[in-house]
Amino acid sequence: MVVDVSGASDANLVVAVGRWHQHALAEIYRRHGGAVHSLARRILRSDAPAEEITQEVFLDLWNHPEKFDPQRGTLRSFLLARTHGKSVDVVRSETARRRREERTSRETATSGYDIDHEVWDMAVAEQVQEALVALPDELRHPIELAYFRGHTYREVAVMLEQPEGTVKSRIRSGLVKLRTSLAERGVRPAGAEQ
Amino acid sequence: MSGQPSQLDHIEIQELLGVYALDAVDPETAALIDGHLEECVRCSIEVTQHHEVAGLLANSGGTSPADLWDGIARQLDSSAPPSWEGLAGKLEAGDDRTERVVGSSTVVPITSGGSRRRRAGRVGVVVAAVAAAVVAVGLGLQVHHLDNQVSALSSRPSLTAAERTALASPSTRQVVLKAGPGATTGPGGHGGPGKVTVVLTSSGTGFVEAGGLVGIPRFRTYQLWGVIGGKTISLGLLGSHPGVVPFSAAGGTVTVFAITDESAGGVVTTTNQPVVEGGVSA
Repeated sequence: MVVDVSGASDANLVVAVGRWHQHALAEIYRRHGGAVHSLARRILRSDAPAEEITQEVFLDLWNHPEKFDPQRGTLRSFLLARTHGKSVDVVRSETARRRREERTSRETATSGYDIDHEVWDMAVAEQVQEALVALPDELRHPIELAYFRGHTYREVAVMLEQPEGTVKSRIRSGLVKLRTSLAERGVRPAGAEQ
Repeated sequence: MSGQPSQLDHIEIQELLGVYALDAVDPETAALIDGHLEECVRCSIEVTQHHEVAGLLANSGGTSPADLWDGIARQLDSSAPPSWEGLAGKLEAGDDRTERVVGSSTVVPITSGGSRRRRAGRVGVVVAAVAAAVVAVGLGLQVHHLDNQVSALSSRPSLTAAERTALASPSTRQVVLKAGPGATTGPGGHGGPGKVTVVLTSSGTGFVEAGGLVGIPRFRTYQLWGVIGGKTISLGLLGSHPGVVPFSAAGGTVTVFAITDESAGGVVTTTNQPVVEGGVSA
């Protein structure tokens, strides 16, 4: 059988992973490993656990390729969603352990919180940055706290001193506005072109 | 807020979809939403869209440490299962545990079983149908409208309500696949395959009604292919006794559909002749 992974679609690579072709997983790693690792590091703020999460994500794909459903989004979205879930689990377990020692969550939200700088560090596409920055603060801040800091919406509500219902609504509205804004800029979901 | 909800209605869950997509809900609430998404197409679409946005935000485009892959590869080496060739005999003997099913809803025939994956696949088809109706994103596929065949296909009892909805959409197209060179020469001994129809929504997703294909041994599978931009791309595995199977061809213009007979698990590229094939007419 001829296997040419360099030109294979993501879906075809997952098929090959399903047949235990390591070179297919290596190609998937080449395409998406950087994004996975960057997201994990961004949330965990540490190299070692970020590398552990990255390994877990790709080993999970190796062991359970059937969990990827191409009808529910791109492979990159799938991998990043898995990365995010695993990363926030780590964050929350760490948070629980340190909770009694740290009572600065509100202070973090108001003074130590520098998401704009980190967004720039992400070096995401210019359009994505513009769309994010263009969001009103009241929509952007809860998204950043929930997604990049791994806080639950209830924690975000406390941090921002807002009702939980308001936070829920603003995160949802913010995501919808971001999607619209990105679509207007011609930005498609990552990996959709493959 | 005190305590955790034991039940949430549709409206309450809708309000939570954004925070759910960002993993910002507690595990109990997430489980309730998971259950709802199994059945609710509208909410499934919204979560998918939120995940896409989150993926864009997360995309740093950076590189991972050079030695990280080596660590992953070492673990693959230490835990790698037997080669596929070694598994073929087990598959032939009916050892389901060793069969790797890839692509979930593109693999599991909708008409068989009642598993979670089956429900997820159905939701996927419903998503496609609703997306076709709401989003109406055309891919420029040039396929004949065959209203009489829509009517005939709609009457099949194996079709779900979602698939009938997709068929009823004005933008839905159909391609009837006819016997190809592999129908008589393939390893499955297909004889004269019956009618096989590909139904394609404007969003690029759809399903293939492949009940007309002759059943083949369980260690083999039918595989659906689409020619997109001159390249032959796998659109999914159909199984050895396919019925109605959803697939996705979103992101490209399909000019030819074909189905081949392959070893179970499918192949990345095929050298087999199509059992059935059909061009997408201009």
